[in-house]
Formats: sequence, C-alpha cells, structure tokens
Amino acid sequence: MGTLELDGVTKVFPDGDGEVVAVDDVDIEMRDGEFLVVVGPSGCGKSTTLRMVAGLETVTSGEIRLAGNVVNDVKPQHRDIAMVFQSYALYPHMTVEGNMAFGLEESTELSDEEIETRVTDAAETMGIAELLDRKPSDLSGGQQQRVALGRAIVRDPEVFLMDEPLSNLDAKLRSEMRTELQRLQSELDVTTMYVTHDQTEAMTMGDRIAILNAGELQQVATPLECYHEPANRFVAGFIGDPSMNFFDVKRDGDTLDGAVFDYPLSASTLDDVGDVTDLTLGVRPEDISVAGDAAGDHAFSTVVEVVEPMGDENTVYLRFEDAPEGETFIATVGGLQRISVGDEVTIEIPEEAIHLFDGNTGEAVHNRDMEE
Amino acid sequence: MTQNTDTGDDSGDALPDGGVAEDGQRSGFSPISALNERFGSDFVESSQFWLPPFLLVGLFVYGAIIWNLLISLTDFTGFGTPDYGDLDLEMYGRALADSGFIDAAINTFILLVGFTLVTLALGLGLAILIDRNIRFENTFRTIYLLPMSLSFVVTAQFWAWMFNFNNGVINIVITSLGFGRVDWIGNPDIVLWAVMFALMWQFAGYAMVVFLAGLRAIPNEHYEAAKVDGASTVRMYWRVIIPQLKGSTISASVVLMVFALKAFDFLYSLVGGYRPPNGADILATKMVREAYANLNWAYASAVAITLFLMTLGIVGPYLYYQYNRGNL
Repeated sequence: MGTLELDGVTKVFPDGDGEVVAVDDVDIEMRDGEFLVVVGPSGCGKSTTLRMVAGLETVTSGEIRLAGNVVNDVKPQHRDIAMVFQSYALYPHMTVEGNMAFGLEESTELSDEEIETRVTDAAETMGIAELLDRKPSDLSGGQQQRVALGRAIVRDPEVFLMDEPLSNLDAKLRSEMRTELQRLQSELDVTTMYVTHDQTEAMTMGDRIAILNAGELQQVATPLECYHEPANRFVAGFIGDPSMNFFDVKRDGDTLDGAVFDYPLSASTLDDVGDVTDLTLGVRPEDISVAGDAAGDHAFSTVVEVVEPMGDENTVYLRFEDAPEGETFIATVGGLQRISVGDEVTIEIPEEAIHLFDGNTGEAVHNRDMEE
Repeated sequence: MTQNTDTGDDSGDALPDGGVAEDGQRSGFSPISALNERFGSDFVESSQFWLPPFLLVGLFVYGAIIWNLLISLTDFTGFGTPDYGDLDLEMYGRALADSGFIDAAINTFILLVGFTLVTLALGLGLAILIDRNIRFENTFRTIYLLPMSLSFVVTAQFWAWMFNFNNGVINIVITSLGFGRVDWIGNPDIVLWAVMFALMWQFAGYAMVVFLAGLRAIPNEHYEAAKVDGASTVRMYWRVIIPQLKGSTISASVVLMVFALKAFDFLYSLVGGYRPPNGADILATKMVREAYANLNWAYASAVAITLFLMTLGIVGPYLYYQYNRGNL
C-alpha cells in the first residue's frame, strides 16, 4: 500500500564552515491514496522534503518509510515513485511516446507491446494521444505539462511527487489543470505529495495541507482547519488572501489594550487566554463588518485609506481614527457596497471571529468559534 | 560619398514594386538601387567595409585553390613555368597508379577516423567525470586542456622522446614491467597508432571542453527525472544525456578531423624532414614532399586537390547541417 511516513526527517546542508538546517525534524504520515499539499514560503524546505522522499537528497537524520519499508538508503530508481518537475524535465531528443515509455523501459520487464498499450492508455487519459509522435519542443506549455503528468501516471507508482507542477502555466490554464489534477488523483487513487507556494492550490487541491516555515512543520490539517483553526500565527498569516490582520495587544484585566483601541473580552475567551499577557489579536478581513450602523464595545471608528475593487468584493485598507497615517488593516466588503477613500466608517470586529496568539511564541491560544 | 548618403535615404523609402515613390528625380533606373534591391537595403553603402577583405580572401584563398586546380591539370615539373595549353587529368591517373599515394590516402583515412573517434570518446569520458562535481575540478580541467596550447612542433619533439627506442619513457616503463622494447617509430605497423596516440593526447582536452559545455547546458532535472524513472547511472547517460550532446559531438568532430588532415606539422617535426617514418605517410606529407623535395609541382597539386576535396567532404555536410538549423 502506498503509505508514506516521514519520521523526524532532518536535512542539514553544509554552508562554508557552518551548517544550514533546511528541514528540521518533520513528522508527516500519509495514508494510502491521500493528496497532501506541502506549502510554505520560498526557502522553507518544502522542495528539499520532496527531494528527500524522491531520493534525490540524502536524509541527515530521521526515517522515510514507503509502504512500511525504510527507504533512506534506497536509490531513487528503486523507490517506485514518479515525480513531476516544475520545469517538466521532458527529454528533448525523444518523442512524447519515448518520454512516456522511458520509465517503463527502465524500471520494468514489460514487453514492448505492453508498454505501448500502457503509454497509449495514459496518453488518452491525459488527452494527448494525438501528440505521441511529436517532440517536446513542438508542444505548448500546457501540452508539455500534460506529457509530464502522463509520464508519471504511466508508471503506476506507489507515490506521486509533484514539485510546483503548475507554476509555469498561465493563470487560466493553471486553474484548469488544478481541477484536472484533482480529478486524476482521485480517479487513480495514488498517494500524492504536492509541493507548492500557491495557497490557492493548497486550499483547493489537498485532502490535507502541511505548512512548513524555516524547515519546521507548522501544522498538518485539512484546508478548512488550517484556515479557521490555525495552530499558530504563521499559519494564520500564511493561509488566506488577503491575509489575517494582526494587532499586538496587552491583556489588562478583561480587556485587550492595543495601541489605539481597547477590546473587551468575554469570560469564555478569557478562559482560553489563561495568564498570558502579551497577545496578538488576529481577525480575518472578511470577518470585519463594515455595515456602518455598528455600535457597542467591539465597534470602532476608522478612516478609509485605499480601496481596491476586485469586482465581486472590495479590499478596503482602513485606519483607526487615532492611528498614524499608513498604519492600516484590511477588510473585505461586498462588491456593490459603495465605499470611497476618505470616508469615515464604523466597523465591528465580532468577538466570535477573533483569534488570539501568544505574543512571544506565536502559538494560538484562542481560535474563532466554529458554527457547529 | 554624397551619392551613398542619397541612396541610403532612398532605400529607406523603397517600395516593393521597385520604385522609389517620394523622390521624383530618381524614378528612372539606377544600378545602385537595383543592387540594393537584389542584395539587401545597404548592400552598396556597406561595401567599403566588406569589399576589401572579400577581394583579398577571394584572391589569396579561393584564387589560389583555383590556380592550384589549374596547375594540377598541367604536367608542370622542375623549374620554369607551367604550360597551361595542355590540360588533362594525367596527374590524377598517375596518383591512382602510385602505391605511395594509395597508402598515404589510406593512412590519412585511418588517422582521420581513428583519431577522431578515440579522441571524442576520451574527451566525452573526461567531461562526464569532471562534470560529476569532483574535487579540484578546475585544476583537472586545466591539466587536460594544457596540451592543446602546445604547438604541434613541441608535441612532436616531446613524443619523439617518449617513443625513443633506447631511452624513451614508454620503453623504460614497459621493460621495467618485464616486456620487450617496442620500436614505436621504426615499426611501420605501429607508427601510425603511436602518432594517433600522441595526437589524441594533445586534443582530448579540447574535446573534453566542448563536451563539458554541452553537459553544462543540460538541466539537472533531466538527470533527476531519469533516475526517478528508474534508469541506472550508465543507462541515464546512454539514453538521456549523451543523445543531447549531438551538437557538441558534431562541432568537435569537424575540428578534430580538420586537425587530423593537417597533421603534416606533427609528422614533419617528428623526423625533422619531408620523409615521415615508414607507415606514417599521409596525403599532407606526400603533397609537400612531391612539391618541394621532388619538384613535381603538378603532381603535388593533384594530391592537394584530393586533400581539399576530403576536407570539403567533412566541412560541407557540417555547413549544410548548420544551415538547416538556421545558424547560417
């Protein structure tokens, strides 16, 4: 079965006289057929993690287990994996058919007829049957991408590894291929590890997301859990676009004391906070209501600094009345709501939507209330 | 000069139908604008830059070749002037009947093919080894390339010492290993291979550099994709990497083959005269010997033309290949 386990996997690169820890003690367990998206900012170690699973990088410490067997010292050619590269890495001197058949010729004992049948089948699945005689240089970017995927699926491996496979496509093609890849993966039901820096891909494609930062695993959870119940401030800020607003606050009795506002908390939220006093208040832009008729402890007067109309919604950069110019936070409002620069609006930050993070460690101490 | 400037302006406005619509004065036929139209808009204006070298090269290279061809059709020998009144192919017939010529042609061919193949193979091997992120990569690269910077004369002297029957390094080594001495230069069955080895020593570094450039142009992902696809290192090089070095192979082969045809300097310096060791006579040495030692001008010209055709046979397909790829 195509289970994949990473157990305390660490990668250290020598760097001059010192060392750089690229991947730091990462534990991930993937069940058979799962689609896991590994996401994080540039240089967070996500590609290195993938390359260790592929066998293209050695593992400094920890264990990688494929279908229960430790594969740390198994060469890539014996791991029964297929990888899709960002640059596709199609062999330019071979036809599409040659490219797709190469892996089967090298890794299996199949006869030429069987190989041809499997290549034709995979090409039909990918809709590239009519391109089999062409060279990669004669293909468009989207077609090359399909060939690269076809080359992976024809192998019928235990695990697919994909390293930002869609990032060289234009926006429209990318969203098409995103859907297609999801369909393909659920059809083939092959365990897939998918690396990307694009959080739309992370949110929409994966069964689960693994978020890495500076080589450390931040959270592994379903996309909605990551969005609504982030484990820490990094995850909260990384997932979601526009990203969550953060305000540094100090707890003063039962209120949060910000630089330019006070935010009273209810008893149940205070229970979560415990005795932490340095806190970060987080609230997603869509949870800030800019209705105009808000009143109460959680309503604040603000000034509109910038409006970015997106069509379906407006992204509004707001500033607390007492805050210095340029110190803004973001709210999203409906596309039809009229709002313009310089307007004074009253907003409400509802308490059920706020997240609280420990100001020093960044750990989440309170996440928003989820509707049951 | 003013005329040039004028046509420059005109050609900017030249219409596809051949007229120059804006300028009424020049609506009639003009040889300059006709030339420009045929060969490109600034053909005449730019001629002062390319025409002098064009004429010089035309005269001294292509003119000389044609003159050489003419002499090869005469019976010119000894002192005096050639008689251009009586042109025939007699000298080519004489060449085909001359066993010395046939031997030289065969040796040239063996040297050409053998030297090129062995040097390419060695250069490719070295390039692959150096490309695998070894230590002291730059040092090795320099060491391998260094012989290329020596002149043929130095290489020949150097290898004359190496191959020396009594005191040569090679014979000292093999006798110390318990084998008998080999007469590398004196044995007609061996000498050509010894020469080939020395030339290979000199040019393997060049082939290596050409292949190394080719290898560096192949993205890392191709190696990685081949490995993940299940290919062993040998299979990866054989099926994925080496086929991508086609361009490098062709470029290196052409240069190596041309050097093989020019091996005259090497053989001349090896013995210090026109008569190379028995078994190592090639067309280039034969040609010079016939001309300057025997004063058989017409016969030497015929040999020269044969050599020229062999060179053309190598360079021609290469130029055609480049032309097809749009590089010419």
